[in-house]
Amino acid sequence: MEWLTANFGDFWSTYSTLVFSVGVHAMLALSIWLTLSCGLLSLANAAFMGIGAYVSALLTLNLGWSFPAVLLAGGVAPAAVALLIGAPVLRLSGVYLAMATLAFGEVVRITVLNLEITGGPEGLNGIPLSTEGWHIALLLALTIYGLARLRRSKVGRAFEAIKEDEVAARLMGINVDRYKLLAFTLGGFIAGVAGALNAHFTFFISPREYGFENAVDILTMAVLGGVSDLIGPMLGAAILTLLPELLRSLHDFRSLVNGAVLVLVVLFLPKGIWEPRRIRAWFQRMIGGRA
Amino acid sequence: MRFLPKTLALVSALACAGLAQAADIKIGVAEALTGGAAQYGVSIRNGFQLAAEEINAKGGINGNKIQLVIEDEQGKKEEGINVFKKLIFQDKVLMVFGPTLSNSMFAAGPVANAAKTVVFGTSNTANGITDIGPYVFRNSVMESDVLPVTVATATKHYKLKKVAVIYGNDDAFTKSGYDVFKKVLEDQKLPVTTTETYVKGDVDFKAQLTKIKASNPDAVVCSCLAEEAANIMLQARGLGLKVPFIGGNGFNSPKLFEISKLAGEGTFVGSPWSNTNPAPVNKAFVAAYEKKFGGEPNQFAAQGYDALYIAAAALKDVKLTGDINADREALKNALPKATISGVTGPFKFRPAVTKNGKPGGWDADQKPFIYLVKGGKFTLYDAK
Repeated sequence: MEWLTANFGDFWSTYSTLVFSVGVHAMLALSIWLTLSCGLLSLANAAFMGIGAYVSALLTLNLGWSFPAVLLAGGVAPAAVALLIGAPVLRLSGVYLAMATLAFGEVVRITVLNLEITGGPEGLNGIPLSTEGWHIALLLALTIYGLARLRRSKVGRAFEAIKEDEVAARLMGINVDRYKLLAFTLGGFIAGVAGALNAHFTFFISPREYGFENAVDILTMAVLGGVSDLIGPMLGAAILTLLPELLRSLHDFRSLVNGAVLVLVVLFLPKGIWEPRRIRAWFQRMIGGRA
Repeated sequence: MRFLPKTLALVSALACAGLAQAADIKIGVAEALTGGAAQYGVSIRNGFQLAAEEINAKGGINGNKIQLVIEDEQGKKEEGINVFKKLIFQDKVLMVFGPTLSNSMFAAGPVANAAKTVVFGTSNTANGITDIGPYVFRNSVMESDVLPVTVATATKHYKLKKVAVIYGNDDAFTKSGYDVFKKVLEDQKLPVTTTETYVKGDVDFKAQLTKIKASNPDAVVCSCLAEEAANIMLQARGLGLKVPFIGGNGFNSPKLFEISKLAGEGTFVGSPWSNTNPAPVNKAFVAAYEKKFGGEPNQFAAQGYDALYIAAAALKDVKLTGDINADREALKNALPKATISGVTGPFKFRPAVTKNGKPGGWDADQKPFIYLVKGGKFTLYDAK
C-alpha cells in the first residue's frame, strides 16, 4: 500500500499536467461534438477557448476575482460572442460555415495580437496556478451529464432531426435557427470554460495557441474518436493527448509514428474509433464464432 | 506495455540513485528539437553535448561525470511543462537547461521554481523571465543590454541625426525588440522619422520602404527575423535607399548576409557571440564544433556550450550528498557566484530586477560584441 501511494505521488507529480490536458481536451472535443450533432461544421471553438482563456486570465490578474467566478466569466464571455455572431454566421452551412468560423477565429487572434491589455504577441504570463484535478473532473462530469441529458431531451431530438434533414425538421415545426444558435452558444460556453481551466494551470497564454492549428486539432479529436455519441470525442481527446507522451521513448521518430497512427486510424476506421454499431457487430461475431 | 518503460525507468533511476555519489551528475536538457523552433533547439543541444563531452574527457567535475538527459519540448508550452515534470520528478535531474523559447519558459519555469530546482535558460531573452522566481537563471543576454550599445556605436560611427524604424508587430520576439529599440532611441535622443510595421510571412515591403525613403533617415533600425530582414534589405537597395541598417538579435545569422549579399553592407549588429571572436577558447570551440557536427556553430550553440561550463564551475564548489533536494538547493546557492571566461566572453550573474520587487532569479551580466558587416561577413567593430 505504501509502495503504491509513494509511486502514485511520483506518477502524479510527473503527469498531473498531462492528465489535466486530457480533461480539458475532452471538454473541447465535446464542445465541437455539440455543434456537429446539430449538423454544423463550426471551427470557432479554438477562438472561443481563447476568449475564455484571456477573459479569465485578465480577471484573475487585474481584478483578483475568485476562481469559480473567473471560470463562469470564462464561459459566459465566448457564449455572448457566439450569440452575437451566431445569427448572421449560422445562416451559412457546410464548408461556407467552416470558412466563416475560421475567419472569425483569425479575427479574434489578430484582435488579441493588437490589444495592449492582452500583452499583444508576448501574451500574458504569471497566471497563478488555480486549477486543481477535481475542478476539471467535476466540470467534465457536469458537461457529460448535461450533454447526455440534452441528447435524450426534446432539444437533443431537435438537433438530431436538423442534422439528418434540415428541411424536414423545419416542416416538422422545429425552429431550426433557434436550435442551431443554442448549439453554437452552448459549444462556445464549454470551450470557454475549458480555456479558462487551461490558462490557470499552464501559467502562460499567447495568441498563437488559439489559431487555425488548434481549431483543426479540436476537430481532429472529435472526428478521430467518432461523433456518434459522447464517448467518441473523449476517447479521441485522450488518445491525441496521450499518444505523443507514450511515444516519447522513440525520440526522433516520435512525430512520424504519431502521424502514421492518425493516418491509419482515418484510413481503416473512417467513422472514428468509437463506433457503437461496429463494436456491437464485432462482439456478436465473437460470440457467434465461439458458439 | 504501458507500464513497462515506466518500471524500467524507475529501476534504472533507483540504480542510478545508488551510484550517484560516485558516478554521474544528471542534468536535464529540454529543448525544441522538432517543430518551428528546432533550428535553435538543435544548435543548443549540440552545444551542450560538446561541452559535456569535453568536461567528461577531462575527468568530469570532482571526478563525477556529467550525464545529459535530453528531451524534446517541441517549442510548445504544454510539452514544456510535461518535459520539465518528467525530468524533475521522474529522472530526478539536478537541474534543467532550457526551454528554447521564452514562451515555453513562462509556462515551464514556474514548475521548476515550485519544485525548488534550478532552471537555466540559454536562449530566453524576454523581459520578466527571471521574475518567475529565485531558481531561474539565464545566460542569454537581454535585448535591453545589447541594443543600447549597438545604437550608440552606430550613431557614433555614422554620425546619425535621425533614423527610421521597421519591425514585425505580430511576433513576440520582434515586438519586444521594437519596444527596447523605441526606449533606447528616446533615451539617446535620436529622432525617429517614421515607424513602419509588417506581419510575419510578408514578402513585399516596398510600401513601407518607400515611406521610409521619403522620410529621408540616416539609418534604418530593424527589429526583424532573418527571413524578413533579407528581403527588407534587398528591396531597400532596389528602391535606392542607400542608408545603413541597425539590426536586433534577429540579424544574428551569417546566412542572412550570405543571402542579402552586398545589400547588408555596413549593417551594425550587436551579439553575445560571433565566430570571429579571436579568443583562444572560442577558436577551440568553433574548431571542435565543426569537427563534431560538420557545420558552423551559431550564437545559440555557443550559449548552450557556455551554460554547461558555468554550471560546471558552480558544481565544483558543491559537495554532492546524494540527497537530491539538498543538492538542488546547494546548486541554487552556488550558481550565482559562478564566473567563467567562455566563448561568449567573460561571464557573471547579476540579480534580476523584478517588477513586483520580490526576489527574482539571475540575469546575465555580460557585454555584447558589436559587429559591422563587411563584404557579407561579420567583422568585430573596432571603435577608433
